[in-house]
Amino acid sequence: MIEFINVNKTYPNGVTALSNVNLEIEQGEFVAIIGLSGAGKSTLIRCINRMHEINEGTLNVDGVNVSQLKGKQVRAFRRKIGMIFQSFNLVTRTTVLNNVLVSSVPELSFWRKTLGLFPKDKKVAALEALDKVGILDKAYNRVDQLSGGQQQRVALARTLAQNPSIILADEPVASLDPVTAKVVMDDFKRINQEMDMSILINIHHVELALEYADRVIGVRKGEIVYDGKSEDVTQDVLNNIYGSITEVPHMDDPEEAEV
Amino acid sequence: MEETFYDKIFKPKTYTLENGKTVKQRASRTPIVLLLVLVATYASFRTTGADLSLLLSRGHQFFVIIIGMIPPNFKFISSIWGPLFDTIQMSLLGSLAGALVAIPLALLSSSNIIKNVFVNGFFKFFLSILRTLPTLVLALIFTFLFGLGTMAGMLSIFVFTASYVGKLMYEHIENVDMGAFEAHESMGLTKVEAFRYAIIPEVLPTYLSVSLYAFEGNVRYAAILGYVGAGGIGLVLNERLGWRDYPSVGMVLLVLMIVVFIIERVSEYFRRQLS
Amino acid sequence: MNEAVKLQYNKAPNRKMYFAVLTTIILALLIWSFLGVDITGFDEKGTGLARNIVSGILTPDLEFLFDFSSQGVPYLLYETIAIALLGTVFGSILAIPISFLMAPSVVKPPVAYITRLFVIFIRTIPSLVYGIMFIRVTGPGAYAGVLTMSITSIGMISRLYVDVIENLDRGILEAMTSMGCTTYQKIRYGILPQLFSSFLSTTIYRFDMNLRDATILGLVGAGGIGAPLIFAMRSYRWNEVGSILIGLVVLILLVELFSNKLRSRLVSGT
Repeated sequence: MIEFINVNKTYPNGVTALSNVNLEIEQGEFVAIIGLSGAGKSTLIRCINRMHEINEGTLNVDGVNVSQLKGKQVRAFRRKIGMIFQSFNLVTRTTVLNNVLVSSVPELSFWRKTLGLFPKDKKVAALEALDKVGILDKAYNRVDQLSGGQQQRVALARTLAQNPSIILADEPVASLDPVTAKVVMDDFKRINQEMDMSILINIHHVELALEYADRVIGVRKGEIVYDGKSEDVTQDVLNNIYGSITEVPHMDDPEEAEV
Repeated sequence: MEETFYDKIFKPKTYTLENGKTVKQRASRTPIVLLLVLVATYASFRTTGADLSLLLSRGHQFFVIIIGMIPPNFKFISSIWGPLFDTIQMSLLGSLAGALVAIPLALLSSSNIIKNVFVNGFFKFFLSILRTLPTLVLALIFTFLFGLGTMAGMLSIFVFTASYVGKLMYEHIENVDMGAFEAHESMGLTKVEAFRYAIIPEVLPTYLSVSLYAFEGNVRYAAILGYVGAGGIGLVLNERLGWRDYPSVGMVLLVLMIVVFIIERVSEYFRRQLS
Repeated sequence: MNEAVKLQYNKAPNRKMYFAVLTTIILALLIWSFLGVDITGFDEKGTGLARNIVSGILTPDLEFLFDFSSQGVPYLLYETIAIALLGTVFGSILAIPISFLMAPSVVKPPVAYITRLFVIFIRTIPSLVYGIMFIRVTGPGAYAGVLTMSITSIGMISRLYVDVIENLDRGILEAMTSMGCTTYQKIRYGILPQLFSSFLSTTIYRFDMNLRDATILGLVGAGGIGAPLIFAMRSYRWNEVGSILIGLVVLILLVELFSNKLRSRLVSGT
């Protein structure tokens, strides 16, 4: 269970990213977080695995107070939480399998991890994770030869090999075309249902959020302005989250152009 | 559109379209650049005393030495092997040591690895200074310090390689996408582990390729180091040119060409495998 | 473990042999090269000399550094720039026809191959040998340096020009054909604008390199700042060496800064 109690976060440059956030997310939920860019969605999920620090309030994950963890404890804590990124964040100049194997690095002996020698059981576990997302046949291909959708599934396999209880996804389908985006979202849904992992996903596409998530959280200027079932999201709710659009560019100004 | 100094002197042209929009066209920079190049070229002609008519009247002199080299003195080859191997050996050792020393230098210069502006700035400046020193001048200084011979040549190649590979590598490291590093940290890896698995696989192929390329160039370059007494085939070349023994010079050049060609092909093969 | 995973596990490419052979070769080469280079420490005079060199370079001959007559550092640097500039101009002009003859998309493959061999041939001859050859033509002095620079620049410039020619965007030519342009118009408005900025960028880069290389030419009497530098070193006048090196380092750093700025503007087009 993830629990935010009166959480505040301000960046050193004075920007308030989260203000007075209170949330409770049960194990096994599929939550979509929506809002404008810069509203604080990304900060919200990055606080959960301590990629960002919070300034005030309490954040508990499975009964552990996240802010009080130190050094080694943070790393041990992060092992239980997977993270997926918009730009996949894979090592592109090596094979798919090597990328997935990285998830087992902290469990290896010093020599093994220095030389990059992985034992058989880790390799098998990595291959099984690739099998779960349907790209087992690409195991020995280099990542830069894969399409965007395939790369995001490698990232998903890397996370699965870690065997987490929570997956945080920061705009996982924003760089993908609509069809591939659906395939990746289907993967998330399947993982959520079959393995009982909690999934928190930041997402731009409102339709995808409503279609896949059980619960939607709307963020506006660092505040939670909506928290409820995805079926209950109405146009009014969306207007409130995204604000009314006033900043339409005027086309009739005398414009300067470079020739 | 920002108005630069140039735009204030040469006013941009303004066009008004039918619908009332105005478009400004900056005056082209090409004429002024061409003018500057022409003036500089003319000044260079005056300074260097370059005179194209001289090429017509005395150009044939250039070929005197070349014709003298044909046919090369094939018997001379037995005196070439030793110095030739010296040249290759000192390039190899200098390149290898230089490439190794380049690693810490590049890491200390990269702002995304060592987050200290002063350290980065210091090492970047240090690499730049090293790179500006002509290799031949370094070789000469080293012959004063270490005596005549291959040690001096090896050291000057070492310094050049360290600065060259170091610069190219920090430029590459600074442009590496740190996303994978972030992802690895989010999986609970330490910073060192994340570096080992995110940054090294990304930069290693480039590092090897750049080092091989430096080695290729060094073999060619090492050939002239003998001129200042820093060992290798340049010594023989210099001596034979001094004696006007052009057939032997021709043989040295022929052998050098073949060796450089082979080394380049082999190195190119491996560099292609790396990319 | 299911069958597919087992199958894929056993398919792991085995490159142990490849790496073992490669490591052995590299180790052997390393040992061999250690045998060839006699690693020595400073020779007996070395330590004292090193102190002289460092103190000389740190206390440069300021009078020499700011002597604006034709014997001073500024004029010598100016002459070196002139040699490098003119050498680059000649070299890049010569490289244009050669690069077209080297481009497989312009000429037949055998012609391209022969031109390539010819360029490799030109490139391997050390610059000092060219220096000696040209001195026969022009007599000692800066002009011999210019001619040497022209020849030694050709190799690299033409190789980079070829890359530009091979990577030309042919879509534009198609578009122009569809607009009914003549061959001349296609070359003038479709090809030249594409070539111009890339060629110029390559040429500026080579100028930067030539400036570094121009210091060597003095060794054989082909002008520039190299001759006084080496003369000062051979006669142990380290303060003068210091002045020349400082001038040279500052000049090269400035030119590098300027050429990087200019080239990035040429590439980004602003």
